[in-house]
Order: sequence, then C-alpha cells, then structure tokens
Amino acid sequence: MRRGIAASALVAALAVSMAACGSSGSTSNNGAPAAGASVDPAKVSGTVTWWDTSDAKAEAPTYQKVIADFQAKYPNVKVNYVNVPFDGAQNKIKNAFSTGTDAPDVIRSEVAWTPELASLHYLAPLDGTLALDKADDFLPNPVAATKYEGKTYAVPQVTDTMALFYNKKMFADAGIAKAPATIDELKADAAQIKAKTGKTGMYLRGDDAYWTLSFLYGEGGDLVDAGSKTVTVDNPAGVKAFKTMKDLVDSGAAKTSVTDGWANMMSSFQSGDTAMMINGPWALATVNKGGDAFADKANLGIAVVPAGSGGQGAPQGGHSYAVYAGSKNVPASELFVQYMASAEVQATLTKELGVLPTRKSVYAQPDVASIDSVKFFKDAVDKAHQRPWIPEGGTLFAPLVTEYTAMLSGKETPEQAAKNTGDAYRKNLGWK
Amino acid sequence: MARSEKRSLGASLALHAGLGGAALIAVFPVLWVFLTSLKPAGRETSSAFFDHPSFAAYGELLSKTKFLTWFGNTVLIAGFTTVLGVFLAATTGYAVSRFRFPGMRPLMWTLLVTQMFPVAILIVPIYQLLGKFHLLNQPLGLILTYMTISVPFCAWTMKGYFDTISSEIDEAGRIDGLNPFGTFWRLILPLARPGLAVTAFYSFITAWGEVAYASQFMTGLDKMTLAGGLQTFVNQYTQNWSMMSTASVLIAIPAAVVFVLVQRHLVAGQTAGSIK
Amino acid sequence: MAVDTTTSQPTATAAGGDTPARGPRRTAGTPGRLRLALGKHWYAWTLVAPVVIVIAVLVGYPLVQGLYLSTTDANDKNSEKQIGDFLHIPASYKNVGLSNYTDILFGAHTNFWARLGWTVTWTVSCVAVSFVIGLTLAIMLNRKVRGRSVYRTLLILPWAVPAFVSTFSWRFIMNNDRGFLNHALQALGLPTFDWLNDPTMAQISVVMVNVWLAFPFVMVAVLGGLQSIPGELYEAAEMDGANAWQQFWNITLPALRPISSTVILLSTIWTFNMFPVIFLLTNGGPGDETQLLVTAAYQKAFTGLRQFGESSAWGVLILLILVVFAVVYRRSLRKQGEVW
Repeated sequence: MRRGIAASALVAALAVSMAACGSSGSTSNNGAPAAGASVDPAKVSGTVTWWDTSDAKAEAPTYQKVIADFQAKYPNVKVNYVNVPFDGAQNKIKNAFSTGTDAPDVIRSEVAWTPELASLHYLAPLDGTLALDKADDFLPNPVAATKYEGKTYAVPQVTDTMALFYNKKMFADAGIAKAPATIDELKADAAQIKAKTGKTGMYLRGDDAYWTLSFLYGEGGDLVDAGSKTVTVDNPAGVKAFKTMKDLVDSGAAKTSVTDGWANMMSSFQSGDTAMMINGPWALATVNKGGDAFADKANLGIAVVPAGSGGQGAPQGGHSYAVYAGSKNVPASELFVQYMASAEVQATLTKELGVLPTRKSVYAQPDVASIDSVKFFKDAVDKAHQRPWIPEGGTLFAPLVTEYTAMLSGKETPEQAAKNTGDAYRKNLGWK
Repeated sequence: MARSEKRSLGASLALHAGLGGAALIAVFPVLWVFLTSLKPAGRETSSAFFDHPSFAAYGELLSKTKFLTWFGNTVLIAGFTTVLGVFLAATTGYAVSRFRFPGMRPLMWTLLVTQMFPVAILIVPIYQLLGKFHLLNQPLGLILTYMTISVPFCAWTMKGYFDTISSEIDEAGRIDGLNPFGTFWRLILPLARPGLAVTAFYSFITAWGEVAYASQFMTGLDKMTLAGGLQTFVNQYTQNWSMMSTASVLIAIPAAVVFVLVQRHLVAGQTAGSIK
Repeated sequence: MAVDTTTSQPTATAAGGDTPARGPRRTAGTPGRLRLALGKHWYAWTLVAPVVIVIAVLVGYPLVQGLYLSTTDANDKNSEKQIGDFLHIPASYKNVGLSNYTDILFGAHTNFWARLGWTVTWTVSCVAVSFVIGLTLAIMLNRKVRGRSVYRTLLILPWAVPAFVSTFSWRFIMNNDRGFLNHALQALGLPTFDWLNDPTMAQISVVMVNVWLAFPFVMVAVLGGLQSIPGELYEAAEMDGANAWQQFWNITLPALRPISSTVILLSTIWTFNMFPVIFLLTNGGPGDETQLLVTAAYQKAFTGLRQFGESSAWGVLILLILVVFAVVYRRSLRKQGEVW
C-alpha cells in the first residue's frame, strides 16, 4: 500500500514536469487553437456530448442542473447530456471510440477504465490544458488513477472507498462498546452478538469480487504487483485473505450468498438480521429504507474496515472525466471538464448527492464537512488502497469472482481458489 | 379435435389437478413480479405475499424515468420488426414451399445455421457494420438486427404452413391469370392467417424483450427500448429492484395482450408448422 | 450467397410450378444456363432476395469475419481504430494459425471440456424434461375438459412474458434467505434448499427455470400436431379393440414424429446457446458450475480488454458442434424416412 502511493507520487511528479514542457497532443489533429492557459475560456465554443454513467434516476437530474449552470456561464458551448447505464457502458464506449461514429466528447470514466482506454489511444492527454485546473488541489489518491505512462488522461470527479457499517443498537444490546478494529475483534464481536441476541454478526457480500479486496489488502496482499509484473493474489498473504473470508462464513461470524448479494446484504442489514456489513458511500442513500433498523439514522455506525494481519485497507474507487482523443470540440470539452471538476461544482454535487469530492479545498468547506458521507468516509478515503492502475485492470475481476464464489459455496478450498485465480491472471496477463 | 369420451370422476379430477397445478406453476413467477412491484424499496426480497403494498413505485417509474419514451420506442421497433419480419418470412416460406429453385436447400440450411452462432460474439461486428451504414442509434438498425433473429424461425414455420395449403389454389390463381406474386398475395396469404399469427407473436416477443443488442446499439435515455431502459436501474454496486420489478410488470402486460390476441391462432398455426 | 446458379441444376417445372421441392439435385451446370435459370427462377429468387440480403449482410459477413478473426490474435489493442475523423490506427494483429483453437481445446487450465460437459448435460436435460412436460400437458389439453381455453392461456404465459422478467422473478423466488420457495417449503414442514448457492442445486435450479420457460413452445407445437390427427384413426382403432395405451403408442406418437423432430432440433439449438437465463440467474456461478460454453466465452473474452480472436474461436467451435449435431440428427431422421 505504501509502496503504491510512493509510486503514484513519482508518476504525478513526472506528469507535472512533462506538463511544464507544454506538451499537449490533444489538439494536434483537428486544427483547433492550441489548448492551455493561453485560451480565453469565454471565447471557446462548440458542442460537447457527455456520456454520464451515473444513476439515471437519482443522480442524473443534479448533473443536468449543473450543466444548465455551465451553459449559463459559457453560452457559446452547448452540452449534450447523455446518460448511459453503467452496466455495459465500458464496451459501449470502446465500440463508439473505435469507430468514431456517434462517439462522445467527454465520458465519465470509472477509475479502472482510464488506464485501459488511455492504452488504447482513445483518450486525449490533459496535462497543461484547460481541463486540468488547480491540479495540486486534488487529493493524491484519485489523481494516481488518472495517469498512464506518465501522462494525465482524466480529471478526478468523485472518489469512494469501503468501510464497515454497523448497527449501534445491536452492538449495545450485545454489550459491545465500539466497532471492531481488526478481523479477530470482528469475530469475537460476532460471537458475542450471536450469544446475546441470536443474530448473525456480519453479512459478507459473496457475489462481487470487489468485496474481497479489503480482506486481501488487510493481509498486506494485492491482486498483482504492477511494478514488478508479478501476480500476487496467490502468495501467502493472498491465501491468508481467502482463508479469512472462508473462516468468517464457516465460523458463523458472517452469512453470505453467491447470488443476489446486494439485495440480500442490504435487506439483512436493514432489517436488523445482521449487525455489520462492508459497504461504500453509495449505500448511504438507501440504508435507512426498507427495514426498520435504521429508521433513526443515528443508529448507523461507520468505521474503517477491520484490519487483517497486515493493517487496514479498503479499495479506492471513483470516477473521472476523460476527453475523447477524436473529439471535434477539444477546447470546449476541456472547458467543460474544468467546470465540472471545479471546487464549486464538487461542493454542489456533494451537498445534493452525497458523493465524495476529490479536491482538498472542498473537504475544507464547513457545509461540506458536515455532510454524512463526508463525515463518515473522509478518513477512509485518505487511507484507501490504490488498485493496480494497469490497462488490464478490467480483466482481473472475472476470474476472481469465479473462484470467490467457488470457495464460498464449498467447491474449492481457499488455497485452490487463490491458486486458480493466480493461474488465470498469469494466463491473461502473461506475467510471472 | 378433442375426442368425445367418457371419463371416470377420478380421471377427471386427476386431469384438472394436473392442468391446474401446471397452470399455477406457469403463472406464479409472473404473479410474483407483480407482488414484488407492490413492495416498498428495500423489501423486494420479502417472502410475504404482501408487505406494505402500494402502487407508489408505479407513480415513481412513470413520473421520474423516461419509461413512456422507452415504451414508445419499443412499440415502434417491435411493431416494424413484426410487420417486416412476418412479410419477409412469408415470402421466403412461400418460395421455399412452392418453387424448386437453385439455392433453396442452402438457404434453408443457412437459416438454420444463423440460429447457431452465439449472439454475444456477433455484437461487435454488427456494431461496426451498423456504424458504417450510419444505422447506430437508429430504430432501423435494431429492426434489421432483430429480423436476423426472428426471420429464420418464422420462414421455417411459414414454409411448413404453406406446405399444408393445397397447390390447387395456386393452380386456380394461374388459370385466372394471376402471376405468382398475385397468387401469393391475394389467395395464399389470407389462407395462411394462423401461420402469420404465430410468426407475428414470435417476432414481437423477440423484439420486445431483447436486451443485448438494444443496450449496445442505442445510446441515450431518449433512444432506449424498454429492455435497455431497465438497465438504468442496475448501477455499479447497487440494483434498484423496486423499479426493475415495476417496469417488468408494465413490460410484460403488452406482451401478454398481444399474446391473448393471437393465442387462438397459435395452436392452429403450429399444426401447420409441424408438417414438413 | 445461398443462391448458387452454377452448381445446381434446376429441375422444377416452370416458375409457379407446384411440385413441392424435395431432395438435392446437384449436377454440374454450365454458365450458359444462367440466363435460362434466371428466366425460370426469378419469381422465387425475388421472393427470397430480401431475406438473403439481410441475412448475408448482418449475419453472413460477421460470420465470415469471425472465421477469419479466429485465426488471429485480434484484441482491443491491435484492432483497427478510427479515432475521430483524422486519426486512423490500422489493424496490427497477426495470423496465429489454429493456436486459438488449440489453446481452447488443449491449453493448460482450459475449461472448455468441463463447460462442454455441462452444456451438453444442461441441453439434454432441459430439452428432454421440457419435451416430456410439454407433451403431457398437450395430451391433457387435447381432452375435452372444462375450462380448457383458460388452462391453455395460462400455460402459454411463460412464453409470452419476456425471459428477463421471469428470470428476475425466479431469482427472488429461489432466494436462499428470503425467497418464497424456501418459505413455503418450511411452512409445509419440508426441507429447504440452497437453490442458487449450492453448486449442484444451482445446476438443478437453472434447468428448472429453463424448463419453465421452454415447455409452452413444445406444448403449443405438440397440441397443434395432436389436433391434426384425424379422429377416424382412433375410431377405427377402438373398433379393433385397441386400448388407450395402444392407441397412444400406435397412433398418437407416430403422428407426432414430424413435429417432434423440428421441436427437438430447434429447442436443442436454442438451449445450447441460452445466454440470458444463465447470465441473469447465476452469472455462471457458484464458481463456474453453471457456466455454459457461450457464457464462458463471453466472460473470458469480453470483460476488460476484449479478445476478438479468442472469442471468435469459441463462437466457431460452438457453431461446429451444433452443425455436426444438426447433420447427424438429420441423417438419423432420414434413415427413418423423414426429410426436412
């Protein structure tokens, strides 16, 4: 984890030095005026098509409102807002980018997509352009996910990570004073909850590989080590993480299911059948609905994920804005990205949607700092574990979820599951 | 036709029990989606029949999403797929049934083989093709794609149906001075109505519920079909089951209505399809 | 593509002739016959032309392209790209011969054979069970029974509702903790099952759901077949003193043979490639227990960086398996005197 951050800081430094040289490849192929500080934003014109993958019902209206503000400020730029369902969006973006027909100018790029799309030459480098404004105000973690081979290909939009959600009343009923800080404490607490209330301690989401990462990082492991091009998921730390998850279920500390994990986890937690779950800020909007356990929102406790033998670590997620290299409206797109990633817009989005901002200055605003998600997740965000930002990042989850579910359903031992995941990675990546 | 027969009371009861039990199993999952749509968000997986029932989700779906736009798009696409698909299947089926022409057998085989290549793997090449013809994000692009799914089956069925219509009718048409097109259009097609109903039903259902092509070829909330629109309720880590089940009910209703309209013909149409 | 004028000799009577076409007549032709053939067959060719064109362009071309790609290492990285109007990156994938195929069939850690085994098991069980259920219900519906049309309408419902809707519903019903099925079993004092989480149960569950989706097609087809059997046959048999079983065995079943052969052929092809049910119900899990060849190919080649070469090879293998099946099936039918 530390090593990951050090590496990303190095990459960031490189990017800054390259930006200083004033390199900007994004505008070279369409005859537009050279981007950069010399462009007067008020004179930029054009049409920007933005593919947004946010929740069409809950989040899109807010984005459309922000876009209306942008157009009021820059009347020469027309923004064409298109909501694309997250599911399947990545293939859709690649299809559109590779043919150039009906392709968007700006996309909302999931953190893992950015290096992949950049490696395929689809994204315009943004160093030294209008898009990257007040770059040193961004948190270092989200910035690391926008780099590929030393250049910046995206501007952080929102960030997220995971934390331990717990039911304060159930903890009090079982006589537990505070959230477990380690997995051993979690097991002990679960046993106590079972003894005192008859309920299960935790719900472990079993159908999504993303939920395994905090255990893997907790043991000091990782899926791969991008620096040395080594597969690490089946090293001793990885095997230990698989064993830990299996043990949580076998020992009765946690319940799980390998289908409908989200619905099962949420309803079980919401109705007070289980006292804990690992989840992200996206769960805050609905956690008090459905069941009765959180009718009083004060009953919800959120703490950093419990530590394994190697410390605490939850995966870093989030989204960024990226500009299509084939866009016919590069300056307008860059201006749009600049506005959308500005402190002002980020503060609005956080207040309206509870998403976590990526600028230090936004966290410093008192009316942002008092928002639930920020209050709960600020610490976790700072500690979030970098994922391997490699083009092949998107191929890592499919084998993992296969082996994860095979292990949870008792078909494979943790050792086999770890090894099979590693073998699949070695085959797909061609790494050691 | 069903034969008149005398049955013991026991046999009658067994018959009703068998059919009733099967009908219950056939209906139950459909009913369950409806019951789920009445449950409030967060309680979708409840095993109770009723759990705080309300139609709130329907109001939300209709007012806060583009459901009606998706509905209109799908009616347009499914409608054209059905009309065009049935027409083309009928002409093909008729040609194969009545004429012996070079290329007939390869054609029948080709139609069969098109059903064998997995759709999932065809998506990218078809996407590139539609892009070249500027048919992406156009209803016509989806209509043509859906016809590749529905026409092969429909042509086979129609061929089987035409085989049962006596060729003396063609003969009569020829004597009356009609060309083969006239014979087909004025004499044969009206007689083939049950077969047309089956193929229409199949084409409609295919286009109405297709997800994979629709979600890749259509972009933007205004262009989506119902099945594609349903995907907007699945997010990165979360799923909105309440909206999904509500939309499912509203999607299933028109399909069921079409089905009730044509189902009288279904059995008769399939009869003909059986005779090769 | 399907119309080949140089290798087939026309044997039909004039266009509009009414001889039903049966059997191949392939002899060497001469180019001079083209004009003759055109004059004779233009009606038929015009009638089939729209379908031939649409199928050739939208399926034929991708299929041929797929065949070609399956011999290359094409993927997201090395495929042709047109980025905007000006930046064109030509394709740089190379021919790798049959190595995609050998990797899939014989490579280390290949799951092809395991998935093929399950896909065959799945197809055979789905087709067999839905055929038996569809046949039984059709025979029951063919009796004079009060409320027949109501029963029939309700029983065809699974076909009328889009598959993704009913698959979602089954996911809820089979939910381990809160599903109705376990709830009902418990209320009846019966043992409950971990429908979708236990490897073996998950396989049984997906077959159950697919049977539920597929039996109405069989039922409707067989019912049509039953109703076309002339009643006189049964009357004659009754006069000869045949009992119900003998009538079923000697009249009903033989009469249903033609329809059954078509139904089984189509069901087999559809079930073999049934993507949505598996994808939506279990997504291939737990582990890869319920992963079919087609969903496994999708998961391997279409998540993250896409492997077009590899996925095409999977597609071609699936196609070959089904073509072999169709040819063998057709042979065995022809031996029994049936042609289609």
